[in-house]
Amino acid sequence: MGEILEEIRRAYATVGITLDVPAAYGTYYRLLCAGCGRMVGNVGDRLLPGMAAELVAEQFDLYASGLLGCPCGHQSERARQLDAPRWQAARQRLGD
Amino acid sequence: MANGPGVPSEMSVIEDAERRGRTGRWPLWRQAYAQGDPLPKLTCRVSRPTYRFDEGEPLPGEYKELLIKMLRHEGERAGNKSFLGLMATCLDIAEALFPTAEAKLLKAEYLAEELKHAIMFHRVAVGLQHDFALRDVPYAHYAFHLPRETWADDAYFHFFVDLNGAFHARDWRESSYVPLAKMSPTVERDELGHSEMGYYFLGEIVSDRRGRELARRLLLKWYPAALDMFGRSDSSNTPKFIHWGLKSVGNAEIREAYKTYVDRKLAALGLEPPDERAHRRFL
Repeated sequence: MGEILEEIRRAYATVGITLDVPAAYGTYYRLLCAGCGRMVGNVGDRLLPGMAAELVAEQFDLYASGLLGCPCGHQSERARQLDAPRWQAARQRLGD
Repeated sequence: MANGPGVPSEMSVIEDAERRGRTGRWPLWRQAYAQGDPLPKLTCRVSRPTYRFDEGEPLPGEYKELLIKMLRHEGERAGNKSFLGLMATCLDIAEALFPTAEAKLLKAEYLAEELKHAIMFHRVAVGLQHDFALRDVPYAHYAFHLPRETWADDAYFHFFVDLNGAFHARDWRESSYVPLAKMSPTVERDELGHSEMGYYFLGEIVSDRRGRELARRLLLKWYPAALDMFGRSDSSNTPKFIHWGLKSVGNAEIREAYKTYVDRKLAALGLEPPDERAHRRFL
């Protein structure tokens, strides 16, 4: 599980999310906002190889627009830093 | 049945507790079954011997192996630490992401009902093989490990994953293993209710533009996982399960019935079911 877990950590780090210590007997991990520490979700360690990066990449627009991520805006800001034009387009399309 | 004069049985205490938990909304299976049988019939179409084994009877080696394999996969056992861990993630989500007080309470009822199943499957496990009762079996399928980052993710998890449980429980109605056949109507009904809970949440989520867009995007993550949960169509074990009366139909057939069901429900929410082959890992 170590390699998959590292994949998950790397994938979520790109959008400013860290993995907490294993929750309740292992297998599952809380996802924490790297900006403020708030819990933003959870994930298990049995994803298939390559899946974590794919999922996070596909959710870029959702982080950018604030539909996913912490209310503090950290993930949206990370998305802006990663790809400002795409961030702007996503916010125009999906924003409030 | 009482344990002594004036002392209610364990089951009547549980039934009483469940009755007191009923509200206009909970349990959500009530509305679904009030309109008729919500699930399709799963009928075995191949000729096979008729087996019937009750708890404590000697089981053929292959039969026991397949039955334990099935129950390992099912996972809802009180002695399975990984199941309790999964339930803890549901508590975490309910605490951190709940949209309304009503939603939070529904999740609490859901957890209580899953823990009831854990006791029921614990009894089956003990009756089958003592050391199986305390065996930790992490959920192997990736659908149980997908990230849940919004209430919409969690709603899909329940709508799809609990429904998978309801379909399998429907199939167990004809199971050759008597303890499983006996509990299957309760498990089916409850799991269908859990799926309806997720569907109810989805209905609220898609009621505004941003929620609809979120649900549309996240469906691309959950739909293939939901179909993948039924395994490969050409699984070499399936004919053995059917032969022994542990399953009635193959993976492809039950998946197709499930797909028909979920596609109709998604369409009713205005969500277009994705291409059934896109992002699939187990065809």
